Amino acid sequence: MKDILGKAVDAGVKSGAEYVEARAQRLFMTMLALKEDRVEAAKQGIEEGVAVRVLVKGSWGFASIGAPNAGTLTKAASSSCKMAKAASSRLKDPVRLAQAKAVQDRIVLKPRKNPSEISVEDKIETTLAASNSVMSYDERIRNCTIDYLDLSGTSFLMNNLGTYIEQDKLYVWTRITATALEAGVFTFGREEIGSTAGYEIFDVESPVKVSEGVARRAVEQLKAKHPRGGVFPVVLGPRVVGTFAHEAFGHLAEADLTLSGSVLDGKLGKKIASEMVTLYDDGTIAGAFGSFKYDDEGIPAQKTQLIRDGVVVGLMHNLETAYKFNVKPTGNARAEDFRVEPIIRMRNTFMELKDYQFEELVEGIESGYYLKSIRGGQANVDGTFQVGIEEAYEIVNGEVRKPLRDVSISGNTLETLHKVDAVGKDLELSPGRCGKGQTAFICDGGPHIRVKEMLVGGST
Amino acid sequence: MAALRQEELLELAESAVNSALRKGADEAEAAVFQESTTSAGIERGQIVKTSRTLDLGLGMRTIISKAVGFAYTNVLSSRTAVENTVRKSLGLARASKPYKDWKSLPAGKIPSSPNNTYDKRIANLESEDLVEIASIMLDAAARTDGRANPVEGGANASCSFFVVANSNGVLGSDIGTIVGCSLATVGNDADDVTPVCFDFDFERTYAIDPERVGKEAVRLAVSALKAKTIETKTNQVIFTQTALQELLYFTLINAVRADSVQRNQSVFKGKIGDMIASEHVTIYDDGLLDGGLRSGKFDAEGVPHQKTLIIEKGVLRNFIYDNYTAKKEGRESTGNATRAGYFSTPTVEATNFRITGEERSPERLIEEVDDGLIVHLLQGAHSSNPASGDFSVVAAPAWKIEKGERTFAAKGVMLVGNVFQMLKNVSALANNERKLDLLVAPWVLVENVKVIGK
Repeated sequence: MKDILGKAVDAGVKSGAEYVEARAQRLFMTMLALKEDRVEAAKQGIEEGVAVRVLVKGSWGFASIGAPNAGTLTKAASSSCKMAKAASSRLKDPVRLAQAKAVQDRIVLKPRKNPSEISVEDKIETTLAASNSVMSYDERIRNCTIDYLDLSGTSFLMNNLGTYIEQDKLYVWTRITATALEAGVFTFGREEIGSTAGYEIFDVESPVKVSEGVARRAVEQLKAKHPRGGVFPVVLGPRVVGTFAHEAFGHLAEADLTLSGSVLDGKLGKKIASEMVTLYDDGTIAGAFGSFKYDDEGIPAQKTQLIRDGVVVGLMHNLETAYKFNVKPTGNARAEDFRVEPIIRMRNTFMELKDYQFEELVEGIESGYYLKSIRGGQANVDGTFQVGIEEAYEIVNGEVRKPLRDVSISGNTLETLHKVDAVGKDLELSPGRCGKGQTAFICDGGPHIRVKEMLVGGST
Repeated sequence: MAALRQEELLELAESAVNSALRKGADEAEAAVFQESTTSAGIERGQIVKTSRTLDLGLGMRTIISKAVGFAYTNVLSSRTAVENTVRKSLGLARASKPYKDWKSLPAGKIPSSPNNTYDKRIANLESEDLVEIASIMLDAAARTDGRANPVEGGANASCSFFVVANSNGVLGSDIGTIVGCSLATVGNDADDVTPVCFDFDFERTYAIDPERVGKEAVRLAVSALKAKTIETKTNQVIFTQTALQELLYFTLINAVRADSVQRNQSVFKGKIGDMIASEHVTIYDDGLLDGGLRSGKFDAEGVPHQKTLIIEKGVLRNFIYDNYTAKKEGRESTGNATRAGYFSTPTVEATNFRITGEERSPERLIEEVDDGLIVHLLQGAHSSNPASGDFSVVAAPAWKIEKGERTFAAKGVMLVGNVFQMLKNVSALANNERKLDLLVAPWVLVENVKVIGK
């Protein structure tokens, strides 16, 4: 592989590129989809592919071809240079890249249980057991969907600055979704398990146990009421804090989006949150679903502080934005696969813990909500966000009471961060997948926190 | 890997099916996708990237004693790699569990050909041509108003071949092109930042208007400046196509899929023939729509595309089916199997989900609103409850309509309600039909939508 990539890099340099990077992958996947007790799909695949990216006169050219072939890739490198030149003719502000140290490394993973060595029969039994655990939980459970994915293999990266990295990839993931129905009320539960360590994650987080929890949540919500809409004090659980850290704040701090006019533009060094808030994007947590050793530009992953005691102290960068901000790249450039170019993505994004007990967060609230887990969320670069809540409870006179359903929260991210007045001591990370044109495996999380005022939308 | 010719793709699919039968499959299906895409990308107001990609692969579905296996590969250069994929698929079928309702793969039928789904001019576009399209869009944007900045967007063109063969007589190939451009803008005036605004144009033939897209994306962002909060009340709301697509994809479109109905996840179960929407609502799923973005000769299993009546003047008429869900009920597939690529197994999906418009212009539709909103984009629609249809979403950008006139941009607005209830409250539609992915629709006016403001 090194030979093929080397030829492409040489061809790019010869065609006048300032920067050339050639990537390849050789990946093996197993995917299962179960619906109720039926194995809807048992799939395996091989994906081999190469891509080359060049920077010519401040403009990018990218070409991706299928299976590796030296001749085709070399041609692709030259034609990318030609394409980039065509685009550069109108450029006012040419792209430049931050300096980065050349790296030569080979990352070999040695999982205790390599998913590629586990038989597909075993994987089917494991997911079927999880499915049975959901379906047999209660007669009001209507559906169960289980998705399973494992991926293993190697990625290769070479550039014209002397970097050559061979890096093993390993992901194990499953998602359990349950629905319940009673008297025309539909409810949901969902949970994901994900790891970059190995198949042993299922020994720690038993799919059968997790499935029971999912089923229980769906059933409990059947008797839940819709909330009263309006502005209330809320306690957010780690899942909700994580989604908030990722969706509402994190995307604003991806330097490409900051430069595109997100509300964080010009806010570096400024106070945008209460002193209680410290926030990280960390690619180095062992085994976490958003961790890796090197990003797809060959920069080592690191722990990047985004907010310290309420002040914005950093953004997430690739080589291009690091040059613009005159900082070091942070190792956030990730490409989903050989078909696409690397862009700025999050890794494991979380709010740092402080010292409040859960009871202390709740005790002062006369009338408010405890929002525990999320269904989904979305945010806009103008700093508005919306998060749909799956599991919620009312808080009355300092106590967590009845469950609620179909709750959502929305507001302005920076205003909300200013209203965080207490942060708990229990940090929890959850795996997930983030979409930004491409899919990336990530984690998000935090401790329980209290927000003085939050706009809560209900359905009545 | 170099691109393959249509005959080579057909030969590959056929030989893979035959190989699977020889190795012990009861039934086998090969799907080959080849797609080449050329694009020019805009970031922060300038064209900074171009790309060209070729993706080609084979997906192999085999059935042994009613158990289904699937394997795929993008390594097609050697016979061995293809043979290994066939073998792997069979191995998975043997490891998997039988579907008790499995009948058979679809039988071969002669499909009709929709018009305007392929244009050689698109297939021949070079990256320089796409840079030109993107430039026209940016120039038009810059001329329109300086208070809005293009943030991202671009132009792209793709040409795809799809070949499917099975052991039950299906053998077909289809070729299609698509060209499009889009521009996202943010209005920025002093400290006033607008939500992202957006315009687009996607076509199957080389007939896009990048000039209009550039102008419109800027015009929207500028009019989103100086947004004001509004009060909480029940209003009339006009949903534009971009807002409708987000709202309907996870709810209505999901609810008419036969797999949702069969799994008790649809509120429409047992409601064929019932009045489930206002009489203004007529919807077809039309896989043969002239120039439709999802039009083609046949679906992902080789079943001919067709036009299926879903809702007729408010009455629910049909669901959409793939081969498996149809045969489970002893009926025919409606040609609604889809795949994301060679790496996917078929699932049920709408083709062109077309909401039929009415006579009036969009301007007339606005005039019919006494007190309401017009909403262009929604945030959080994917967190709707797909089964119940309950939603609670942020509407941004959105504009207030007072006495038949669009007056000012509204901020901090949430819409709360239920999609299926909303269908009953549709009171009028405009005639400005547009295509956006699988949705084909005009603007739609809905009465009694709960709008939460400050």
